[in-house]
Amino acid sequence: MSRAGAVLRRRVLPLVCLVALLAGCSVHVRKPTGVAAAHGGTVRLAVIPKAIGFDFWEQVRVGAECAAAERGNVNVYWDGVTSEDDVSGQQSLLQDSLAQGVQGLVYAATDAKALADVTRTAREQGTEVVNMDSGTTPQPPDVPVYATNNVQAAERGTQLLADQLGGRGKVAFIEFQPGTSTNETRAEGFFRGLARNPGLQLIARQSSNSDYNTALQVTQDILTANPDLNGIYAGNEPSVLGAAEAVRQAGKAGQVKIIGWDTSEGQVESLRDGVITGLIAQNPFKMGYRAVDAAVTKVRKEAAPPPSTDTGSTVVTKENMGTPEIQRLLNPSCANPPE
Amino acid sequence: MSEQSGSGGTSPDGRSGSSSEPGEGGTTTAAPPEGPLSGLTERMSGAISQVAAAGALIVVFVALSIAAPSFLTADNLFNLASQTSVNAVMAVGVTLVIITGGIDLSVGSVSALSGVLGVLLMADYGFDPLVGILGGLLVGAVAGLVNGLLVSVVGLPPFIATLGMLSVGRGLVLITTGAVAVFGAPESFRLLGQGVIGAVPIPLVLIVLVAVGGHLVLTRTRLGRYAYVMGSNSEAARLSGVPVRKHTTWVYVLSGMLAGLGGMIAASRINSGQPNFGEGLELDVIAAVVIGGASLLGGRGTVLGSLIGAFLVAVIRNGAVQLNIGTFYQNVLLGVIIWLAVWWDIYQRRKLAGESG
Repeated sequence: MSRAGAVLRRRVLPLVCLVALLAGCSVHVRKPTGVAAAHGGTVRLAVIPKAIGFDFWEQVRVGAECAAAERGNVNVYWDGVTSEDDVSGQQSLLQDSLAQGVQGLVYAATDAKALADVTRTAREQGTEVVNMDSGTTPQPPDVPVYATNNVQAAERGTQLLADQLGGRGKVAFIEFQPGTSTNETRAEGFFRGLARNPGLQLIARQSSNSDYNTALQVTQDILTANPDLNGIYAGNEPSVLGAAEAVRQAGKAGQVKIIGWDTSEGQVESLRDGVITGLIAQNPFKMGYRAVDAAVTKVRKEAAPPPSTDTGSTVVTKENMGTPEIQRLLNPSCANPPE
Repeated sequence: MSEQSGSGGTSPDGRSGSSSEPGEGGTTTAAPPEGPLSGLTERMSGAISQVAAAGALIVVFVALSIAAPSFLTADNLFNLASQTSVNAVMAVGVTLVIITGGIDLSVGSVSALSGVLGVLLMADYGFDPLVGILGGLLVGAVAGLVNGLLVSVVGLPPFIATLGMLSVGRGLVLITTGAVAVFGAPESFRLLGQGVIGAVPIPLVLIVLVAVGGHLVLTRTRLGRYAYVMGSNSEAARLSGVPVRKHTTWVYVLSGMLAGLGGMIAASRINSGQPNFGEGLELDVIAAVVIGGASLLGGRGTVLGSLIGAFLVAVIRNGAVQLNIGTFYQNVLLGVIIWLAVWWDIYQRRKLAGESG
């Protein structure tokens, strides 16, 4: 009996497997099938930012929810990982959303190449995709991206720095995640600006790893090594905050010009105080709004969604920060949306 | 490992008062609870670790002073002290844990939790900075207590208990803040991380206080001596009557509390509680402790060594920025120095064991 059992295990089982295999179970990567069927008119959208926990993405959320409310019968599921470099975490989150059967996927890609697969999978199962802030490579022609033209905005910000320095001086660059597309496009615009202003001399380039404390430390160290530093260009919110804090603590507020990206509360405060001399403001509200609006249009198959657009950028200074347009941009709400 | 002794029933006396200072000073009689073999050999190899780390620190320090003219300036040394303070106070706590043969992976998350809750107490509830700081320490101590109970009572391996806390702590940070930074602490809170007493930065004072405190705990108290015993041979410690559970728990409480202090110093440096603070910080802290000569197997480590390790890590990062060396290279440099420090330690230890054995 037990011998027969052994024979069964050793001989027969593999044979059965082999036959079954030949009979047609091919080996492949399993694709989720999803449940994209419409749910009685209510459109269900997953809206996935690069990360939660930053002012910028909060404003994207306000815009997204505003569009959902205005269109009516739209449920927005907002979720995100906690760090913008957590590519695999975001990938899992996107896949989970697809498995839950949303009809539309609105997201900001933490990595252009790695997440192109998610877009493809989504479209294969009939889920509409729209990108905000950052798209994928390749970007399918009918997946619109609503994002800032980072290169152009960075170049404009750098020009302001050059103007504030009278066209000459030593500058430092605080980047945040070398290698990521946002970081590199903001660097590219900065270098174009430098090329147009040969009087500016780049003397240090250091990364904050998107951490406020690290930004503070590297800026302190740069200031120590270069007491004659004239200007700083910083690539995102924590980098700007850390650079400003270092300049403040060194007692060089206003003396070292700081131009940087984003417009969180703390940054705007430092702009008012004169520690920061210029902020490159994007329009996150508009990104969220446009992206959700387009996704609803696509899901309801009403019309072709509006094509990819630059959602625009503005350089905010102490002088123009009081104007109504800038105030709407800095504190967007559904009742009082920015242009 | 030179000290797997039989621990022949030298049950540490339970009564109070009597054994005042067998740790450092009393060289002659009164065999310390570590066991007969440990005395001279152990002390010599401990000294070797510190000498190696201190040597590396001096070499790097001198090299930087030559390479970067701005390195050896009052301003920069001030910066260095305050930049090191967060890692250094946390390293003292982790040293205690590592000596018992445990590990605390949660210090980064716990420091963030303390930072945001401490700032929240001041910003949203209007408490005095002193209350906010103590609140932050308390939060850290409670997180440490949970770690300690999970290890000592529930019986989870320290790696697992604190890995869980790493995740729970970060989760609680995000829940309480909605993942948005907490601003609005009073200006006087800046003193903790940015202030000076005379010409001495307060963070440096804190390093010294914590280090002296940690050193005294390790060398002058029962908790410290039992920590070495438990780390060398926890079974023998238990059999010889050391209340292992109680002391294990305390060690994690202290580590949590010091993580809380580190979190408050960091928050004070930027006058805000940042929810993403301290991600990966546990690795820098553990690196400092290991460079300072502590053994992850337990039973070995000193506060002074860990302090030197923390300064070495900070000096390398500080100097690299001044020389405008990119972050990627900084990471490689730091990793190589960890290898070298521990290799040197092992190499010297083998030589010593070969000579004495």
